[in-house]
Amino acid sequence: MPLRFHWRLLMGGETAGITRAAMYSRVETSLPDLEAQIHFCRCAEESGIDSLLTDFGFSKPDSILLAAALGLATQKIKFIVAYRSGLLGPTIFVQQLNTLSALIDGRFSLNIVAGHSPDEQRFYGDFLSHDERYARTEEFLSVCRALWKRNGDVTFNGKYYQVENAKLNIPFVSSDRQYPEIFIGGSSPPAQRLAINHGTCWMRIADAPEKVLPAIRPALDAGVEVGMRMGIIARPSREEAVRAAYSLIESLAVEAKDAEKENEFVKRSDSTSIKAAYGLENEWLTSYLWTGAVRQIGGPAIALVGSPEEIASAIMEYRDIGVTQFIFSGWPKLDEMVYFGKEILPLVRKKENATARANSN
Amino acid sequence: MGDNLRSSRPLAEQAGVLSFDEQVDFCRRAEACDIESVLMAFGFTRPDPVVLSMALGMETSKMKFMVAIRSGVVTPTLFVQQINTLSRLTDGRVTVNMVTGHIPRELGYYGDFLSHDERYARTDEFLTICRAFWRSEGEVNFSGKYYKIENGTVNIPFMSDRTAGPEIFLGGNSQLADEMAVKHADCLWRFPDAPEKLRARVQHLKNNKTEVGLLVSVIARATREEAIRAAQALLQTVGAKSREVQSEVSRKCDSVGVKTNFKLAESSESQWLTPCLWVGAIPYLGAPAIALVGSSEEVAGAIVEYKRIGISQFLFMGWPDLEEMIHFSQEVLPLVRQKEREHELESEVGAGRKIS
Repeated sequence: MPLRFHWRLLMGGETAGITRAAMYSRVETSLPDLEAQIHFCRCAEESGIDSLLTDFGFSKPDSILLAAALGLATQKIKFIVAYRSGLLGPTIFVQQLNTLSALIDGRFSLNIVAGHSPDEQRFYGDFLSHDERYARTEEFLSVCRALWKRNGDVTFNGKYYQVENAKLNIPFVSSDRQYPEIFIGGSSPPAQRLAINHGTCWMRIADAPEKVLPAIRPALDAGVEVGMRMGIIARPSREEAVRAAYSLIESLAVEAKDAEKENEFVKRSDSTSIKAAYGLENEWLTSYLWTGAVRQIGGPAIALVGSPEEIASAIMEYRDIGVTQFIFSGWPKLDEMVYFGKEILPLVRKKENATARANSN
Repeated sequence: MGDNLRSSRPLAEQAGVLSFDEQVDFCRRAEACDIESVLMAFGFTRPDPVVLSMALGMETSKMKFMVAIRSGVVTPTLFVQQINTLSRLTDGRVTVNMVTGHIPRELGYYGDFLSHDERYARTDEFLTICRAFWRSEGEVNFSGKYYKIENGTVNIPFMSDRTAGPEIFLGGNSQLADEMAVKHADCLWRFPDAPEKLRARVQHLKNNKTEVGLLVSVIARATREEAIRAAQALLQTVGAKSREVQSEVSRKCDSVGVKTNFKLAESSESQWLTPCLWVGAIPYLGAPAIALVGSSEEVAGAIVEYKRIGISQFLFMGWPDLEEMIHFSQEVLPLVRQKEREHELESEVGAGRKIS
């Protein structure tokens, strides 16, 4: 199987990178920007991108509806719809997704996360602790998957959900699957358990390959794919890429109050990944893996920085330890994605082919 | 639409996926017929109304979508976020139809095991929270029996020329529904009865600044005889099997309105509550099949009679839906408008239509 590359969808009003604090307060981010986002989808199709991640959060539009709008306006690109348990019941969730699938021929997968901010969870009426949220997500996905099996009525009697003889007349519609692929986000032990029990792919925030390997081995052994969420800052030469990385931080022009808000956010978050990303002491985890933008943009901003050749090689290093999918982001997202499609992806495919030939000899 | 006689079939056999192209076509014809909105119903036999409205909204330019929702399936915060997203993608062409659910067995599919009255109590909390978000007066805090929200924030605003969120319809025929509508809704949807029987309750709602609309079917033809023949032919088409289906629905149901309609259909000496209001199709096609039957002139007259007692909106359904809607728009609606002018009634009657 060739590696699969996904990208984060452009947000409304987004030009270059914006800080998390700014994103939380800007109305533009919460609005669909169909013209710009459809253009982004078409560029993604041309750049060899598999799917685009539509985030969920109080500062964004609803991710299911946004994927529906964009999917109806495009032919090929798929979406990774992020959602959380605790917002709606599993039966209605499956009904909404099956409706989406009928409209866009199943061109989406799910990114199920347990939520990373207790404060934000409470906006939605969710007061559970980190581990309880994972336990609830286990139940949530058990019910969803039972409904997707379409093997009779679904009865479930759990701690968080009870459904009795549930059925839906609308099936999941897709030319090649019975239910959507399920990406599980998170890096804590409950996240790993959830990924193994219910996921098709475990998405983690990046770290050096030698650090990642022991953490993902149980998932790989269980037959679950592993993916990395990370940024890319690629330029023709390493020097240019490093310069671009540093000018990114400057361009974010973090105001003092935003920095404060970000620190407060991290302090109040109960996400293991976010805490870990902020706890990283080195700015460079490897010669190509840079953490410099994490404090402004968040954990997924841990970025591959270098020339196309260097980044293609780095991607192959992850491939060697068993990573098979990537959700990338860039600053600006569109330019970096187009550059990736033109300059990096062909190198990766060449290296994959060479490896495949070497293995078959 | 696509499956016009679906309520005559067992629930499990009703198609979950309808033809999207046919639905788009229906919406465009409804626009041409001056129908203001289509009801996007909720239930396990159907696609999800929020997602489907989004898709139909992108293919239309005028039609509004009345999105049905029950409390107990999604949290109010997420619902507001979805409705607001939908409003942005359809230029505000979205209204909300709050229903409480009427078949306990189906509610269990969605994990909802509350009784009729408890569901109303939860709906009360649900709408209190939604409306607090839609007032956009800062963070929402609420601590109730069914929901607890702390500093609730949704960044995407509701977008339309209405400032205070979507128009809210509430469906129900019980006393609780009347109270809930007065408290939270712009308009109550209820089943019809003879005008004089409705007058007092309608007046009470109107005095409390709440509109009342009728959920009613239409069988209008050039003459009364043709209309009655069409009504009888409908029963022939759906046949005895649909009676079994509907009698099971009515047995399992805990809705006051549905039970009342079935009782009317069983106990009335004649099938006619007024010369125009026919209950004969209820045992075959369910409670919403209570129908205005007659010539275009008679049906228009009946509508204006309802207007006289304070009814201001109608949500219609027909068999076949499309043909009945076109006939309504060409033959009945002009007569209604004419009668409205003749009687110098103050405001025009709004028109809604059920999408099935």
